[in-house]
Amino acid sequence: MIRADHLTRKFGARVAVEDLSLDVQRGEILALLGPNGAGKTTTLRMLTGLIAPTSGTVWVHGEAMDRSTAARLRGHIGLLTEAPGLWERLTVRENLLVYARLQGLDAPATRVERALDLFEIRDRARDLAAELSKGLKQRVALARTLLHNPDILLLDEPTSGLDPESARDVRELIVRLREDGRAVVLSTHHLDEVDRIATRVAVLSTRLIAADTPAALRGQLFGIRVRITIAGEAQRYVSALERIGIRNVHVDEKVMSIDLSQMPVDTPAVVRALVGAGADIEAVTPEQPPLEDVYLRLLAERVSAQHEPRA
Amino acid sequence: MKRIAALIGKDFADLRRHPGLFWPAGLTATIALVLPFVVAIAIPRITGELLSDSSDFQIAAEMYRSQSGARDLDAEGAIQAWILQQFLPLLVLAPIAGSMSIAAASVVGEKQARTLEPLLATPITTFELLAAKVLGALLPSIALTFVCFGLYVGLAAAVARAGVFWILLAPRSLAVAFLLGPLAALAALQLAVCVSSRTNDARSAQQIGALVILPLGGVLVAQLTGSFALTVPVALSIAAALLLFDAVLMWIGIALFDRESILTRWK
Repeated sequence: MIRADHLTRKFGARVAVEDLSLDVQRGEILALLGPNGAGKTTTLRMLTGLIAPTSGTVWVHGEAMDRSTAARLRGHIGLLTEAPGLWERLTVRENLLVYARLQGLDAPATRVERALDLFEIRDRARDLAAELSKGLKQRVALARTLLHNPDILLLDEPTSGLDPESARDVRELIVRLREDGRAVVLSTHHLDEVDRIATRVAVLSTRLIAADTPAALRGQLFGIRVRITIAGEAQRYVSALERIGIRNVHVDEKVMSIDLSQMPVDTPAVVRALVGAGADIEAVTPEQPPLEDVYLRLLAERVSAQHEPRA
Repeated sequence: MKRIAALIGKDFADLRRHPGLFWPAGLTATIALVLPFVVAIAIPRITGELLSDSSDFQIAAEMYRSQSGARDLDAEGAIQAWILQQFLPLLVLAPIAGSMSIAAASVVGEKQARTLEPLLATPITTFELLAAKVLGALLPSIALTFVCFGLYVGLAAAVARAGVFWILLAPRSLAVAFLLGPLAALAALQLAVCVSSRTNDARSAQQIGALVILPLGGVLVAQLTGSFALTVPVALSIAAALLLFDAVLMWIGIALFDRESILTRWK
């Protein structure tokens, strides 16, 4: 639905984004991760056509975005900026109505009334935007972003500064939008949020460091690990695992942690081997390093690669 | 046009809830409205000395009464009409000065409130955005000018010598109020909006926009000193020049409105 093809953006001598390529399809949530200044907001602005890339192309539904097509292609895109950007002295309804008209929608008032219901903000429709909590402002901003029914959503830190309950509401809303078949690109610093809702992750630090599903990134960096809890002494069953070729087993009393990433067997085979050896298994859980560890390791690898002496 | 109307509607709704922004316009317009009557009517009544008793004014009055429309006035009425007509450009310019604060804050205000980026993410064109911002300040200014002009004529009919108010309805006065005033306002407010889109501070825009008023203020002074006569042909010539200047200003405004710089360099 939206594709970035070798995007580079320079501001004078400073390179904000370098040779970035990514592709987001219907029903996907791609999370852009990166430290401050990594180029996330610049990327979203280029994808929206608000700023032009120095080189490279943005494709929306197979059509290249340029000066002549940007305004029209923006009709497919909804951008949620980092700040809700509501007109504070206008009511919620007025804010939405102005945007419905700016988007050139037919029957703007009807669209607004529908949005008020969809986002459950009808009871606050007459309130000035200034009177809303930050969470509600974000909800109104999301309603505004979706007024013209875009199929591509670009969300810049949508839960930044929200309390946990409001953040959860916004996350649920984003998931609903993905389920409706929209393509979502999400810039955020909240790694737990990414873990919960993103189908793919792109880690940026001016360049694209990695892009894949969270599980695949974990697997690439930390291997595939499984934790098995056994009633009794786990050490007794290590030999049963060695017989099926598993060497790398870490045992701590009744818990064994196994790295399966380079192994010829999968978790069911491990469980079968243990049960066959008479083990009484209490729990089998995949051992997932936090996404934060994945993210920090990717950034650290990027830094060390930059400082490596060239041959 | 729909997008321009939508944004103007938004600016008006915003202004309705922030009436303090009208105070400068209202105050300057009130001063411009009252001042000529103080000079032409109140002071002579308070001091008991007619303006026509002054030899300086007598010469002016005789010259003035040579014009058609003023021949039927007595000496005092002619001087009153002359003063009220000389001060008319001030009355027309005063609401512009007041509206300048609205125009100056138009784009920079959106930037400061962080509402500009979502606005620019809509299909709105630069021309539509700038036109809406200029008209959002211009329309209240013109409305105020017309109200002030109506009050000016009404006050003249009520307190000045009989027939004086007709002078204010002569083509020359109407050209100043309904042609020069709006066109000058358009130029000043366009300049303020242009600067507002290039600055981080509404005050800079206000100061630079006000520069347009200076030449028109000069016209007022030149009239009062007698070195310049704002006749109908002169008013039409100035109007034509202003119209051209307004078109050039819009073109410059669009060229200077760099969305990328506004979004990326301004924090």
